Amino acid sequence: MPQLVCGNERVEVDENGYLANAEEWNENVAQALADQEGVGELKPEQLDVLKFMRSYYQNYRSFPILGSVCRNVHQPSECVNEEFIDPLKAWKIAGLPEPVDEVVSYLKRPV
Amino acid sequence: MAEPAAEKTLLDVVTEADTDKNAKGPELTGEINVPRVEEGRIVKGKLSGAKPHAAKPEIMTALGFPDTLVDNWEEAAVKRLGELLEKYKSLQVYLDICVRCGSCTDKCQFFLGSGDPNNMPVARAELLRRVYKKYFTTEGKLFGKLAGARKLDLKLLGDWYAYFHQCSQCRRCSVFCPYGIDTAEISMAAREIMDSIGLGQKYCDMTIGKLLEIGNNLGMNPKALTNTLESIEEDIEEEDGVPVKLPLDVEGADILLVTPSADFFASPHVESLIGYAKVFHQAGVSWTMSSLASEAGNFGMFVGNYTLMQKAAMRIRNAIEQIKPKRLIVGECGHAWRIAYSFWNTLIGPFDSLDPNYPAPQHICEYTLDLVKRGAIKLNKEANDEFTVTFHDSCNVARASRMGSRPGGQFTIPRELIKASCNKYVEMDPATTMEKTFCCGGGGGLLTDEIMETRIAGAMPRMQTLHAVMESDGVNFMALICAICKAQFTKIMPKYGVPMEVAGGVHQLVGRAIELGAKE
Repeated sequence: MPQLVCGNERVEVDENGYLANAEEWNENVAQALADQEGVGELKPEQLDVLKFMRSYYQNYRSFPILGSVCRNVHQPSECVNEEFIDPLKAWKIAGLPEPVDEVVSYLKRPV
Repeated sequence: MAEPAAEKTLLDVVTEADTDKNAKGPELTGEINVPRVEEGRIVKGKLSGAKPHAAKPEIMTALGFPDTLVDNWEEAAVKRLGELLEKYKSLQVYLDICVRCGSCTDKCQFFLGSGDPNNMPVARAELLRRVYKKYFTTEGKLFGKLAGARKLDLKLLGDWYAYFHQCSQCRRCSVFCPYGIDTAEISMAAREIMDSIGLGQKYCDMTIGKLLEIGNNLGMNPKALTNTLESIEEDIEEEDGVPVKLPLDVEGADILLVTPSADFFASPHVESLIGYAKVFHQAGVSWTMSSLASEAGNFGMFVGNYTLMQKAAMRIRNAIEQIKPKRLIVGECGHAWRIAYSFWNTLIGPFDSLDPNYPAPQHICEYTLDLVKRGAIKLNKEANDEFTVTFHDSCNVARASRMGSRPGGQFTIPRELIKASCNKYVEMDPATTMEKTFCCGGGGGLLTDEIMETRIAGAMPRMQTLHAVMESDGVNFMALICAICKAQFTKIMPKYGVPMEVAGGVHQLVGRAIELGAKE
């Protein structure tokens, strides 16, 4: 499996760059994933989105609707698209597993 | 020195893709130009490498297919074709009766958009027809190539995988075929044969797997669904100040609504869900959705597999038995409405427990329009004055179903409902609407991002006709009644320089126009 270097640590990612083990996620790993996705240095508002996505996934094992993400982190209703441009990248940087194709097909994101 | 490449499997060879990831639509002029069939003018096999991802072994085995391309794939494919010919006499007729008159050649959006001659419906069908001739007809067995027969080899199998995933099974070509050959059925058969030999398309097969495992295409489990619906309820109340509910699993509710799961998740789809909810709220009826039947879509049809289609549909039967509704209503979804209207009765019917005074199933547009006509709900057209609206007929609704009690209801009912919701409505070129409508370019299991080049090509004719009315009449909203159309257009429009907000749902308009609150 490919590895991603995060400072002194190394974590495994799958063939498409998704973190192999969601439990290994921390803010350093997030930054390394963000670098991999070309997102740049993560801002506090972005970290809030990532943390909410992670807690949502832990509770519901599902991709949240984007509006509910923004409401829960008290940001404007298009926050995921504005902060990350691509919500799929946000999900990936949050260290969560690759969603099913149908989710990718229906996510509001640039292609 | 180059590193030795990992050994390719047969499956890798057949599904190896070569597609333009940066494809963009051509400049919009408002005209649909037919690619000229002249030497040098046509790009031969332009999309021969536009292949979707192959399904992984775990996806295939979950659906009962071989995990990868079987060793004896040629023999197995011919055997499966033989079984399909036995089971579906229509398939044999379609393979036998084509006279190559050419009527269909310029009718397919994928040919018009790509200029790839294999996307002429007759040429696509020939990919299978030649194999049929080789193994199943006397002249093919005796005279081989002279009789148009061809052995199924790896190259041809690769072409099957490419071009049968460049057909959206929209059946536009069939409207123009003097023999009524249903090319969609040929595509479905080809996909069923490919699945049966271990050559599956990831997007369709994964989506069917999620539906069977969890209950909907998006893999949204009941707990997540409940949370999502509550979140949308909060949105509505915040926006309109009215506690419109989105009930789930309410046993004994009068109406069971079955809608595509995209309505719970995607934009602009969720706006239509809000529209349905407001209609039910204002009509004062008891209604519910069901976590068992949280998906109207059914990709079993796209892969041509009757068993999977029936298994997927059975969840709706189970929901009816659990909820015990009087009426069954289907939300905005094109292929789902084809299955509901044309196949549910034989797949999971009869619906004896439902109230016989109502159509079973009934389309949400028919239901809402009836309420409007009876004055049970009121629509304020001015609420949509910022829009000049046109309507794109979804292929499966237009050509594979009906709506209401009169012929052509699938054309008139959505239009009447739109006109009741807004003041400015414009038709697109009549050569491209109603039964002659084009597919959005993403139907039939093509709504997956790795074949964006195919999807952009397939959208070309509709984008041109849309552009024409945007220029001539200032159209800024194309109303849709299909989850796939909505997702396809919102992603494709920017590739043509058109804002994605131009695509929206019919019940999105209804939801904006409906007068909520106490009735006069």
